[in-house]
Amino acid sequence: MTRPSGIGGWLKLVLPWLLFVALLLLPVTSPSDNILRLLFLTAVYTTAGLGWNLLGGMTGQVSFGFAVFFGLGAYTTALLMHAGHSPYFGFIGGAAIAMLASFFIGLPTFRLRGPYFVIATIGVTEAVRVIMNNLDVTGGASGYRISEDKPFSALEHYYTAIIAVALAVLVSTIIANSKFGLALRAIKQDQDAAADLGVNPYTSKLWIHAIAAGLTGIAGGIYARRAGFFYPGDVFAFQTGIYILLMPVIGGIGTIWGPVLGGIIFVIVEEQISVNFPNFHLLIYGLLLIIIILLEPDGLLGLLRRLFRLFPRRPAKTELAGDAG
Amino acid sequence: MSAVEYLDLLLKALLLAGVYAAMAVGMTVVYGVMKIVNLAHAGFLMLGAYFAFELFNRFHINPVLGAVLAIPVFFLFGMLVHWVLVRWLPKSDTPTLASLLLMFGFWLVLQNFAYAIWGNEDQSILIPSLNLSAVHIGDTISLPKDKLVVFAAAVFCMVVLQIIFHRSWFGRSMRALIQNPYGAQIVGVDDQRTARLTFGLGTAFAGFAGALLGILLSFNPDFGRPFLLRSFVIIVLGGLESVSGVALGAVVLAILETFCTVIPFPWYHQGWKTYYLPPSYQPVVPFVLLVVVLVIMPKGLAGLFNRKWKTA
Repeated sequence: MTRPSGIGGWLKLVLPWLLFVALLLLPVTSPSDNILRLLFLTAVYTTAGLGWNLLGGMTGQVSFGFAVFFGLGAYTTALLMHAGHSPYFGFIGGAAIAMLASFFIGLPTFRLRGPYFVIATIGVTEAVRVIMNNLDVTGGASGYRISEDKPFSALEHYYTAIIAVALAVLVSTIIANSKFGLALRAIKQDQDAAADLGVNPYTSKLWIHAIAAGLTGIAGGIYARRAGFFYPGDVFAFQTGIYILLMPVIGGIGTIWGPVLGGIIFVIVEEQISVNFPNFHLLIYGLLLIIIILLEPDGLLGLLRRLFRLFPRRPAKTELAGDAG
Repeated sequence: MSAVEYLDLLLKALLLAGVYAAMAVGMTVVYGVMKIVNLAHAGFLMLGAYFAFELFNRFHINPVLGAVLAIPVFFLFGMLVHWVLVRWLPKSDTPTLASLLLMFGFWLVLQNFAYAIWGNEDQSILIPSLNLSAVHIGDTISLPKDKLVVFAAAVFCMVVLQIIFHRSWFGRSMRALIQNPYGAQIVGVDDQRTARLTFGLGTAFAGFAGALLGILLSFNPDFGRPFLLRSFVIIVLGGLESVSGVALGAVVLAILETFCTVIPFPWYHQGWKTYYLPPSYQPVVPFVLLVVVLVIMPKGLAGLFNRKWKTA
């Protein structure tokens, strides 16, 4: 990690911790159930969005199929809890199954150049949903129910989700600052050049896809445990895949705090839309995608950066002195 | 099942392949020239079906004629979409994140427009003389008239496309851009203009195929999605950029989809038995085919043949 310099650098280092502590201490103020629910949803979706961002943003491999990992995480957690295991073991199991599934998509497609991976991710959501709709073990299309032998605790769900999103931020930060993260960025910019420098694009993509899938699987499990009931048309829906991809795009592709910002905005917008314009979900998301891609491909963070550039700070004197010396 | 019944199914599969080819060919030319995976193709297919539906309901125009009318309308629409949206995308040899997300966003917009106008009920175009009658050959073989007409229209348009592709200046510049974009520009091909016309052509074929599919099936605003994957599978089978490969890919997919539920396969469950694939699993077939093709022959069927010809 680069050493922080100036007030901005220190803020960057301290703000995430402040945010984390604030979120942990929030229940002290006894917020309403709705606020807790919204924060829970934000955290869950952001976890999945951060996962997508590792693959789509950092490595440049767009996937429309993250609903598969979300749904697999949900179902695995539910089945493991049904078998009498702890829900936390269930989340890990969900992550493991999602990672396995990611290899199933990645192994045949990452070897090839061209749009094969994207195409496969569109197909896999459809295929898995059809299979889950017909599978007897999980109740087919009528869905699956999770029952726990203890009272519902909104706080426990909240803390689980907050820890999951903190984990996702931590994983993203570690990867972004590691050699592996550099390799991923090199692949995004120029795969041939990266390969010439000794990066194996195939295995790198496979592993980051697996890590992203694991995070999304955890998110799916946490979501399922609070929801209590879910069905293939919900967790395996193409829509879920869209939502997961929208957050990093809104916030800023390839950054760590972009998906977090995107997640917060997404949940607020989603709540507002479902109240005020229930029939225009797709239109609003579609227009948002088009506008962001054509006008500000770096998302909200890019926009903020551009705004800050309009008001340049005076150059810090110490840096200049350092240059001269 | 008897041999005649298999023949009957085979003929029906071939009839289906005609529409599939018309559906996928628009995507192939757009990918070939611009290297854009056109996800909005699904939206254009859906709009094509509703176009024929509206013409039929309001003006009592025969849906086959409606499908032909869709070609010029969607051609202009596609050029407009290219002019407003697609041309701003950065150029690249491989599909970029921006192009994927942009076309995807546009598909969502189209879908929502359709929901706003026509609602989410399933609609269909029903003409008794077309949908309910069949041509009988012998006792078991019966070919539904709608499938025959749709097949004829699709094949006719594919032939016209082949002629455009090989005989016109526009077709030649398209092929040049597919083969080598830089070389084509050096010899004087206007790539922006060709890209605009190509996108129009791709959209025209999507609208046309969508209208034809609307004759055969019922549709709703989410109509295009299953056909998007099928189009992908077909163009991957065909080698992504080859128009003749598309026809081949369409035949393979149609035959597999038709026969997957009637061919028994052995399975071990308390002793060897033969099972049939439950029809509800049929939508998985295109995806399984895609994965198998990617593993075995990533260049598609056409690539397989090309390699043989080259070594020979």
